[in-house]
Amino acid sequence: MSHVWLPCGLYHQEYTQDHGWWQTPLIKGKMIFLLAIIFIVFPLTLTGYWFGVANMVGYTALGALGVQILIGYAGLITLGHAAFIAVGAYTSTLLILQFPWPNFFINWGLAYPISIIIAGIIAGLWSVLFGLPSAKVKGFYLILTTMAAQFITVDFILTQYISQIGGRGQAFSLPPGTIKIGPWIIDSEIKTYFLMAILLTLCVVIVANLLRSKVGRAWIAIRDNDIAAETLGINIIWYKLLNFFVAGFIAGLAGAFWVSNTAALSPEHFPWFWSLWLVGVILIGGVGSIHGVIFGSIFMVLAMELIQLAVISLGDVFPELMMKFLYIKESVFGLIICAFLIFQPRGISYRWWQIKNYFNLWPFSY
Amino acid sequence: MELFLMTLINGIMVGGVYALVALGWVLIYKCSGVLNLAMGELTLIGAYVTLTFYQAGIPFVLSIVCTLIIGIILGILVERIFLDRLIGEPILTVIMVTVGLSFFFKGIIEFIWETKTRVFSPPIFPLEPITVGFIKISNVYLWSFILAILLFVIFAAFFKYSHWGLAMQATADDETAALSLGVSARFVYAGAWAIAFMSAGVGGALLGNVNGINISVGYLGLLVLPAVVLGGLNSIPGAIVGGITVGVLQNLSGAYLDRYFPGGVKEVFPFAFMAVFLLFKPYGFWGWERIERM
Repeated sequence: MSHVWLPCGLYHQEYTQDHGWWQTPLIKGKMIFLLAIIFIVFPLTLTGYWFGVANMVGYTALGALGVQILIGYAGLITLGHAAFIAVGAYTSTLLILQFPWPNFFINWGLAYPISIIIAGIIAGLWSVLFGLPSAKVKGFYLILTTMAAQFITVDFILTQYISQIGGRGQAFSLPPGTIKIGPWIIDSEIKTYFLMAILLTLCVVIVANLLRSKVGRAWIAIRDNDIAAETLGINIIWYKLLNFFVAGFIAGLAGAFWVSNTAALSPEHFPWFWSLWLVGVILIGGVGSIHGVIFGSIFMVLAMELIQLAVISLGDVFPELMMKFLYIKESVFGLIICAFLIFQPRGISYRWWQIKNYFNLWPFSY
Repeated sequence: MELFLMTLINGIMVGGVYALVALGWVLIYKCSGVLNLAMGELTLIGAYVTLTFYQAGIPFVLSIVCTLIIGIILGILVERIFLDRLIGEPILTVIMVTVGLSFFFKGIIEFIWETKTRVFSPPIFPLEPITVGFIKISNVYLWSFILAILLFVIFAAFFKYSHWGLAMQATADDETAALSLGVSARFVYAGAWAIAFMSAGVGGALLGNVNGINISVGYLGLLVLPAVVLGGLNSIPGAIVGGITVGVLQNLSGAYLDRYFPGGVKEVFPFAFMAVFLLFKPYGFWGWERIERM
């Protein structure tokens, strides 16, 4: 049974068509249109400030994608995802700054791309380490172990030990020109934008494909009822750990991407707040939907930018508001999450689905 | 040996305060099934409210009483406005609402009281420690412990002898049976939140006496989570034992492990211990083992 709405006159003759990637010409057209907007229209029309916003959306979406795999597709609730993003970011930075690369590697600009992959793998393994308790516990107890991951990784290991490497104290500064992919030095926001767009597109495609394979079906079975999944012969420990690995891998990529977007890296970029923020993003976007990740990231980042603009414009009248912007942001974020969960528990992606359905049958909805 | 005994006793004293906060947490979970992650912010609110009353010239004990009253009001409000609508929703939804609440509270706290460290001035407890034999105990710890025990006794009496306390106990034990006997669920939930706000508030005020009040007191309130996990989520004696264990673990790790892992081992050790502990005893010491059926 296909999940895709087929227009009148179009029907499938084989099962493989039912599992197809782009099932109708309309979907294919829409997707190509979307790619054209991301890779051609946005770079041509956006200006500096909005590139920054777009990069933030992309970074949030990459992080939230991992959270979505864990929470939305395997039911493994995590409140420590920022730890794995941090591991990715630090792995990448340390590889670039400290690893004795052969000269031709640096000249050809291979150091950063390789470090992205290694960052993903290390973050994935780190995530599996903290996913081990998931073999025995679930629900609230698992939340606590992921919280432990956050505090142990960021507040202890990274702050106390890793940050001391090289004797720089708190932050790693990344000199301009160190982040280089092939011949391109990533030094402007538009280049970061392209890096973000490519990484995000790749990750979304990979995850979406993974979810319609055996692995994804096993994850969804575990989410819906883990005991039933086990009786069906799914090795739930293996698949849960695989889930942690994939989520951690994407978090590592997100962290390695963040390195290109910042001039200095410090543990303050990955507070517990950020872990909770990512969970908030997928709750607002919709749990169990890849659309939800993107919608949630766009909504949250834009909402915060709008609040910032509002506060700045009010700043002339109430100057103390400017000083306390961060606190207002925190409060508003909390209220938005509560309001969404109470009034719109299925998230933005559910509304999107309703709108799409409406227009599929429009104007004759019978 | 001397060092060991001293850290042990200090740990037990601080642990008493943690146990008090943990009691509020377990009560909410037992009565309404809500897993509350906003406990840290509740302790912060208590600490700042007490401080504000104290700075206004009200004696410390009276400001604690005022904090208790404000705790009751806030607890009932929070339950009515946010959590009442979420009865029966999935666990993630409820947890994230409490997370949202914690951000909301934290933002408001920072907005009102800002982030500077504040201390109770003049200090409430005398600074020089009490010496018993060769053990020195600071006054703050001792009085916090005594006050925490006192509140425990009050709460225990409330549960054992008052009509309302019995109703809450009945709901925690078997919700359906209690409701069919005419216990008002809304009252019980509101009562649980009021008690949680009260215990967290007093806990925050006491913890604020130790090192002064800033946002990191909220982190101390978060330590209640390892405490309740050690004791098992739905056991009130477990909360007390867990709270004291966390206090002891924290102090012992600060005294002995700090040499090998300099910096901050005290803050993360309870969490690390908890993560390993869960591998061996997933339901804590006295938690109910949930038997799942398809």
